[in-house]
Parts: sequence; structure tokens; C-alpha cells
Amino acid sequence: MANVTLNVNGEARTASVPPETTLLKLLRDNFNLTGAKLGCDVGDCGACTVIVDGKPVNACLMLAGQADGRDVLTIEGLATLDGLHPIQKAFEDNASLQCGFCGPGIILSAKALLDENPAPTAQQIRDALAGNLCRCTGYTKIIEAVQDAARALRGEPADKAA
Amino acid sequence: MRAFELVTATDCRHAVALLAEYGPFAKVLAGGTDLLVELKSSPHVPEVIIDISRAEDLKIIAVTDEGLSIGALVTHTEIMRSALIREMFPALVDAAHTIGAVQTRNLGTLGGNLMSGVPSMDSGPALIALDALVTVAGPAGRRQMPLAEFFVGPRKTILKPDELLAEIVIPKQNFGKPAHFVKFGLRKGQALALVNVAASLWVGRDKQVFAAPRIALGAVAPTVIRAPKAEAYLEGRAITPEAMAEAGRIAVGEAKPISDFRASAEYRQDLIAVLIKRALEGACAQAKAKRDRET
Ligand SMILES: Cc1cc2nc3c(=O)[nH]c(=O)nc-3n(C[C@H](O)[C@H](O)[C@H](O)COP(=O)(O)OP(=O)(O)OC[C@H]3O[C@@H](n4cnc5c(N)ncnc54)[C@H](O)[C@@H]3O)c2cc1C
Ligand code: FES
Ligand code: FES
Repeated sequence: MANVTLNVNGEARTASVPPETTLLKLLRDNFNLTGAKLGCDVGDCGACTVIVDGKPVNACLMLAGQADGRDVLTIEGLATLDGLHPIQKAFEDNASLQCGFCGPGIILSAKALLDENPAPTAQQIRDALAGNLCRCTGYTKIIEAVQDAARALRGEPADKAA
Repeated sequence: MRAFELVTATDCRHAVALLAEYGPFAKVLAGGTDLLVELKSSPHVPEVIIDISRAEDLKIIAVTDEGLSIGALVTHTEIMRSALIREMFPALVDAAHTIGAVQTRNLGTLGGNLMSGVPSMDSGPALIALDALVTVAGPAGRRQMPLAEFFVGPRKTILKPDELLAEIVIPKQNFGKPAHFVKFGLRKGQALALVNVAASLWVGRDKQVFAAPRIALGAVAPTVIRAPKAEAYLEGRAITPEAMAEAGRIAVGEAKPISDFRASAEYRQDLIAVLIKRALEGACAQAKAKRDRET
């Protein structure tokens, strides 16, 4: 068994799992954090995206043992008791998602982008989200939500006309 | 995934010792973006997985006496962000940027990409066009060889089971050599190459002629290949659009593309000619920009 201790959403969590356990399975089955989704299980869809040490990765392609000692942020770590994270709020305001399956991964990819680049171009947003497939929406409102969230996080008013 | 034992290597030396200990039963895990996909679908799983992803001494990017050394565990994201590589070899940055998506590039390593040995790998052509060497670490110490001689067939390299790919070196004589990488896939994001091409060249000291031109191609043969006939045609020849187009046509005869579900062999042949011209044009444009900066 692999004994792992990681910091998940600011809390130390430990588990003892078979070595072949992926980070995704650890989060979902051991820690009951089901925000990260199991889509393709081979790195194509991004539904399992979580942020490890500041970088978005596919949790289906990382072993739990490789995440030992690291900081992991999942979608459950974004909202606070005061309300949604500005990126989540922007997705809601723009009605950016339909079934929502891709949402946790997309929002985390967007967060990693905005943490580094507070004013991305539409092309930079597309590049940052290229590993997150959405089968429902067509992406337009997703891109707009990320732009709105970027403005909100910069402290600017939402600009619906642009 | 089937069960295996997981052991963690602390550094390169430790990884080599673990390989010696577990021998043919073991396989190395770097970023896992190829290996975990393979393990999930394969009925044959190695008994032991040696996780090298924490070996810090394999993550170094540095200029040494030999040239630019890139550790095998450097990720594609780290290549894109390295100020050193951005300045010295933008073609490597362009190649890294085309690999998968952000998530893949954050985990996937340069060494893992080369070791995967797939003909469409995106880091092979630019490195081969820059005459890169690979350093391999094994029980008897280190050995070095040109990357172009490292690949022996689809998914096959000359690495022995008890050896580790340690670093990739771009030799000093190629510092500042203009190079350009182009990839053609079916989509802009997250698509494997139908054909990818890199070219590098010097411009003759007195005349506008090609000097030491290199052309490397992926996804058109069982391994990444060079196009020696096209290179020989260009050597010493005046830099013109016609010469670049002719080099592309010559290289078509040096490749052996196959038809698969992504594209037909004929389509790939057309791509080879077009992409070589574009890669050469890109490298020439870079040479010109460099000359303009220096004068
Ligand atoms: C969704 C997706 C998209 C992708 N898109 C692309 C793409 O566009 N272009 C492209 O080229 N590739 C692509 N890949 C393939 C893959 O991401 C890259 O090849 C990556 O660089 C592999 O590196 P890794 O560290 O993840 O390798 P791993 O999966 O850890 O290892 C791959 C193989 O190499 C061996 N190995 C790794 N490191 C060493 C070492 N230092 N010494 C000896 N053996 C070693 C392993 O044992 C294994 O057999 C994609 C993969 C996915 C999942
Ligand atoms: S489930 Fe991980 S990328 Fe699809
Ligand atoms: S909203 Fe359904 S997959 Fe994106």
C-alpha cells in the first residue's frame, strides 16, 4: 500500500491506497471530493483537472503516490462561506455551462490561467482551456465568463458591451 | 489498472540502482502521460514502477562546457518558461507549446517524450535539427550519442533496460543557430502531428547561402528522420524560395509516410514538401532578424 499525505484545499489529508491508485480515484473515493470527474481516464478530456502545486494537471494521469506531500486544489476548495469564487460567479452569470460535467475542470484551468495572467486575450484563454472538452456549449460563453471573471478579479466592473 | 509495486527514486543515481535491482520487471515513471495511459489498457503491467518524478538532479536546465543541457525530467511547460531556452532556441519552445494541452505539458517531460519513441513526437525534430546529443546513465556510468541515432524503430530506442535517459545536450557550436519548427495537426489544440518538421541553418559568412542546413521530420517514417539528400542539395546553395521548395520536394523521396485514420500517405507527402519550405522560411526569417539586431 502507498501511504500518502497531501494538502487538499488547505487541509492535510492522509490515506493508505494501492500503489496503482490515481490521484483522481484518491480524491473521489477516499476523500469524497467528487467535483473532479472521471471522463476519458486517458488525459484527453480534462474533466478530472485539479491544481497541483499551482499547476493544472489531469488527476487521472497522476498516481496518488506522486501527489504525496503536494498541495492540491479541487473545485470544492474555491467557494467560501461568503459565496462563490468570482470565476464560478462569472460562469453562473453568463450561463456558461449546460450539463456542467466539464465545469470543475474548466473553472480550475481558468483559475490557474488568471492566477498567472490577470488580463489574458481570448486566444490565451483558448490555449489555456484547450485540454478541457465541453460537449454541450460550444465554448463561446465559457470564454466570455473567463473574460468577465478576469475583469472582476482586477476590480473592474463587468463590461457586457465588449 | 493492474497492481504493481511503486518505488520512488530520489535522484538519478538512485534510479539507476533501482533499475539494476529490479531489472526487467521494472519500468520508469516520469510524468506518466504516456505510461499511465499504456498501463490502463495493457494486460501486461510491470511488477515494479520506479517513480523518478522527484529526482531533482534530472530537472536542471543549464549551460555547461558541452552546450545547453536539459534534464530528462524537464517538463514541456518548463521548456516554454525557461528564459534561457526562449532566448537561445525558440524552436524548442514552439515545439513544446504544441504538445497536448496545458495539463499534459505540466506533467509530460522531455525525456518521456523522447523515450516514448513514437514517430509523431513533437520534441524530436527540433532537437535533431540542432544536432542534440543524449546522455544515458547506466550501471557502468554514462554514455553519450546523437539523438538521431537513439531511435531504432516505432516505440524503440537503443536504451538498454538498465539505463536511464539523463539529459539532452545541444552542442555549443549550435548556440544561436536559427531554427524553426512547424507542426500540422487536424486541430489547433491537442492534436498529434500528421507531419512535423524542423529546420536549422547558418547563413554563409560572405554570401547569402545555406550553411550546415538540417532538416528533421516526424510522423513520416518509423522514427523521426533527417533528410540528408535535401540537406546536401541546400548546402552552399543561394537562399531562394525556389531552393527551399526544391528541398521540400527532394525530402518527399526520403520519407516513407503511411496511410492511417488521420491522413493518407499522399496527403502526408504533400505536407512534407510544404512544411519543409515553411520551416526553412522560418529559420531564414530568424537569421535575418538576428542579423538586423546585430548590425
Ligand atoms: C492528451 C494527450 C495529448 C498528447 N499530445 C501529445 C502531442 O501533441 N505531442 C507529443 O509529442 N506527445 C503528446 N502526448 C504524449 C506525451 O504527453 C508526451 O510524450 C510526454 O512528453 C511523455 O512524457 P512523460 O514524462 O509523461 O512520460 P511517461 O509517461 O512517464 O513515460 C513514457 C515512457 O518513457 C519512459 N521514460 C520516461 N522517462 C524516462 C527516462 N528519463 N529514462 C528512461 N525511460 C524513461 C517510461 O518508462 C515510459 O515507457 C500526449 C499525451 C496525452 C495524454
Ligand atoms: S478523465 Fe482525466 S482527462 Fe479525461
Ligand atoms: S456543459 Fe456539458 S460538457 Fe460542458
